[in-house]
Amino acid sequence: MTAAGASWSPPVPVRRRAGRMDLLVRLVRRPEGAFGVLILTVFGLLAIAPELFVGPLQTAVTAPGTRLSPPSAAFPLGTDELRRDMLNLTVHGARVSMAIGLLATLVTVLIGATVGIVSGFVGGRTDAILMRITDFFLVIPTFVLALILTPIIRDLVGSASTEVLGIRMTLIVIVIVIGITSWSSTARIIRSQTLSLKERAFVDRARVIGAGSGHIMRRHILPNVINLIVANSVLVFAGAVLTETTLSFVGLGDPFQPSWGQLLEAARSVGAPGLGAWWYFLPPGVCIVLVVFAFTLVGGALDDLLNPKRRGRA
Amino acid sequence: MSGSYLARRFGSALFTIALIILINFVLFRALPGSPERVILRGTPNVTPAVLAAARERWGLNDPVFPDQFVAFVGATVSGDLGYSFIARGQTVSGVLAQRIWPTVILFGLGEFVAIVLGLALGAYSGWRRGGPIDVVGNGLSLILYSTPYFLLGMALLLVFATGLRWFPTFGMLTVGAVYPDIWARLADFGAHLVLPLATVGLGLVGQYAIVMRSSIVETLSEDYVTTARGMGLREGRILRHHALPNALLPTVSLVAINLGYVVAGAITVEIVFNWPGLGTLTVEALTARDYPVLQGVFLLLSVSVVLANLLADLIYGVLDPRVRT
Repeated sequence: MTAAGASWSPPVPVRRRAGRMDLLVRLVRRPEGAFGVLILTVFGLLAIAPELFVGPLQTAVTAPGTRLSPPSAAFPLGTDELRRDMLNLTVHGARVSMAIGLLATLVTVLIGATVGIVSGFVGGRTDAILMRITDFFLVIPTFVLALILTPIIRDLVGSASTEVLGIRMTLIVIVIVIGITSWSSTARIIRSQTLSLKERAFVDRARVIGAGSGHIMRRHILPNVINLIVANSVLVFAGAVLTETTLSFVGLGDPFQPSWGQLLEAARSVGAPGLGAWWYFLPPGVCIVLVVFAFTLVGGALDDLLNPKRRGRA
Repeated sequence: MSGSYLARRFGSALFTIALIILINFVLFRALPGSPERVILRGTPNVTPAVLAAARERWGLNDPVFPDQFVAFVGATVSGDLGYSFIARGQTVSGVLAQRIWPTVILFGLGEFVAIVLGLALGAYSGWRRGGPIDVVGNGLSLILYSTPYFLLGMALLLVFATGLRWFPTFGMLTVGAVYPDIWARLADFGAHLVLPLATVGLGLVGQYAIVMRSSIVETLSEDYVTTARGMGLREGRILRHHALPNALLPTVSLVAINLGYVVAGAITVEIVFNWPGLGTLTVEALTARDYPVLQGVFLLLSVSVVLANLLADLIYGVLDPRVRT
């Protein structure tokens, strides 16, 4: 651990920001990183302000087109069975899919990082129990668990039409379910890094001057695993978008706030492939593949740049 | 293989299965409304007497722990998973048994095709790193890896069934068809199988190719490969006798770990093609809120994945002496 190790140990706050910018530059210098960042920027813009590009989300009432018409000058991506413009739906779908992906990633990483840091730092019995639970979630098919958790939690929460942060309750439940079921690999990664960090001298120093465990975990361990958390979040996001898509596709989405997965479900239930209506499922489908592909590329590149274990192997 | 390695593997699989059963137990009790109301859902004219009878009949007057829990575990272990809410009078095990074979056939064959193709593609592109097959194959693998199975299925369906009319669009057999002999029936089945099978195979092949490629690249940089090169062995021989057997090792556990994701794919591919397996069953149960069936599916799929992982661990133990401690 020479030059590479130096950038890993906690730098002073002013230099840390410089380090972040430097990281972005190094990421964009890699072709796959640049490609990924470009795609994500485009979809990020669409998600932040869909109205700016295609106007408000069309409903069955405000739909302007004719039923299931193929792409034309007026509707470059065609229309759906409710006469809505597919371009409008797809752009608005970006907001729903990306928002759920982002929130689910936050929940997932919060649980995973907490479990990982506590497990690695406290050790002993706590570690053994937490890792048993982590292994359980690693081995079982978590998607099937998500499938049964979603309707049960939805029944428990009740009123589906209430909104939190402008997101309907049905989708909030999906966020929570994805969080509960997909934190295990994050916990594993953070734990192993914590295990090596807690042997370092600065942890001993903090303890000697009387810092408690909670303080050390928050102020000394967390800043040192934050890079790893960022790299992992990007991959978690890709998984979250895929999981949300799949959950929506099996009918657990919300037709009033259609994500890309929900659009695909609608396309399937109308029988779009059988009717030859390729414009119905191609736009949301291509968007999903592009976003997941971009996040996988960026995640892989970040992992190479940040993960101390993979550094230098590329 | 040492006894403690075996004991630890079996112990951890048993612990996981126990947790799965516990989750099933807790989830059913977490449902809103008391259990007897859940059971009697949809039954007309429920009087207090009927409710009391149901409580008595299903043992709901006993304490939740340990009585109800022990009864639940006992029933689960003996294969009694309760009754479907929707298919009245049918046991969950019965419903699952009707639907398991289409899934096993589709995904067994799909896994097989994907493993053979994926490992071959991965090994070749890792060996000829930077060559045309590697560049194209790697890009394709990554894109396939990012594509949800069902999307691939819908695209194949559109092109080959609706567009070219080469294959039927849905189901496992033609509805209402009368077959002169077993071969005609089998041919019809085969025609229905092609597209779902291609979907599963293509969906999985990318992951296996990616892993096999990085595994072979890593193996080729090992000292024993350099030694073999130094001894003047031909490249083909080094690949087949030195690199491949070692590079295959990590893929054994990967196939098992991947099963969890395959299961998710299984559910969606079946919906696209209306394949009458566990996937379509899951969605039917989901739409109708048929919780006993959903729990049965969860139990069956999770336990299968756990057992597959156990098997992979055991195989790994046989193949690689280093882990047997």
